[in-house]
Amino acid sequence: MRLSVARVRLRLPVQRPTLSLCSCLSFATTATRFPSPTLSLCARRAYASQAPGGTSFNVFNTHTKWLQKERAAANPELSRQADYLKDEVAMRVCERLLDVKRHFPAVLDLGANSCNIARALVSPNPDPDPSTPLSPPLATKIGSLTCADSSPTLLHRDASLPFDASLLSLTRLVLPPDETAPLPFPPESFDMVLSSLSLHWVNDLPGALARVNAVLKPDSPFIGAMLGGDTLFELRTSLQLAEQERRGGISPHVSPLADVRDVGGLLQRAGFQMLTVDVEDIVVDYPDIFALMQDLQAMGEGNAVLGREMGAIRRDVLLAGEAIYRELHGNEDGSLPATFRVIHMIGWKAGGNQPKPLKRGSGEVNLKDILEKK
Amino acid sequence: MQPRTRPIQRFAQAVSKCSAEAAVYGKCVVADYNSIHKDLCAKEFMKLKNCYLV
Repeated sequence: MRLSVARVRLRLPVQRPTLSLCSCLSFATTATRFPSPTLSLCARRAYASQAPGGTSFNVFNTHTKWLQKERAAANPELSRQADYLKDEVAMRVCERLLDVKRHFPAVLDLGANSCNIARALVSPNPDPDPSTPLSPPLATKIGSLTCADSSPTLLHRDASLPFDASLLSLTRLVLPPDETAPLPFPPESFDMVLSSLSLHWVNDLPGALARVNAVLKPDSPFIGAMLGGDTLFELRTSLQLAEQERRGGISPHVSPLADVRDVGGLLQRAGFQMLTVDVEDIVVDYPDIFALMQDLQAMGEGNAVLGREMGAIRRDVLLAGEAIYRELHGNEDGSLPATFRVIHMIGWKAGGNQPKPLKRGSGEVNLKDILEKK
Repeated sequence: MQPRTRPIQRFAQAVSKCSAEAAVYGKCVVADYNSIHKDLCAKEFMKLKNCYLV
């Protein structure tokens, strides 16, 4: 009898997106008389909506991701070589600060990787436009920066390198590995939150954004960038084709990513106002698929999808994938392009005398008249 | 001291010598990638594999 109970429990999937199944679990353990408990016996039904603060559907193995970052940073030289993408995106995130005429006494960099944003902030002349005068480093706009990341090795990788502390006071802070925990800061303690290339590994993106909103002071911006959409679609498609042809099935090798149109909704749901979302494609050319994958590994951006096939990718699949990548996407000069689609987002926490949309139905001018006159 | 070469680097080097066979295999897969199935291009793949194993 006991054995059969254990079997029934095992057969139930560990993770289910719907909440109503939770109440059935207890039923399954007690009902030893029924060989397979049917779901129709479960009385409670619910709409397919996510309760606030409820369970989220996990996509990524956070521990694997943490290990990958730690391992990548354990080899500082290789890790620094592969920092080009993160440095570039950090620079582009920081450029957005040029548009805000304000001084930020306390700033948080959430998911800092190796403090790429701090390096971008102190870089001289962030606005290289010949028509404008030389602009001072962006760090002059910022009082103190707190870099927070869950991987201590990656965070402290460049701690020994010279860093101009006169421009920016920098604190490194290791976050707890459990991403669902609230951020270790008092609410409303930061004048701005930045985040560059780390949110795409978060399982509970709505929750993460809500936590960011909570630590922001009223009327303060969140400026973030994450990989999304068609990032690495070349690698994804060629590995899928290779695996299909060689082994007759596919397993995920490239993460599922948020799309541009989702991000607006996510920000809005987290309570941000005056949203700006835009997309940039960064295409990097690599000599071969191995160079691409090696660099991804050195960035700590390896595959960490839950339910992926464990162990290294098969040689046969790699061999086939390389050939298909070259044929399907290769450049004429023999290099292989890899697209990184960066989604930039800006949201402001409500508060102060922020401009707000007028109430619905309060319009007094007929748009039709204006448009017809032109 | 010579840094250790990772096996994957040796693999990459061996593969880079077989671009002709790789192109044949790639063309075979890409020609019909909407109805791909297992061993569609097994013959071409074995040629590619033999090349890199040598």
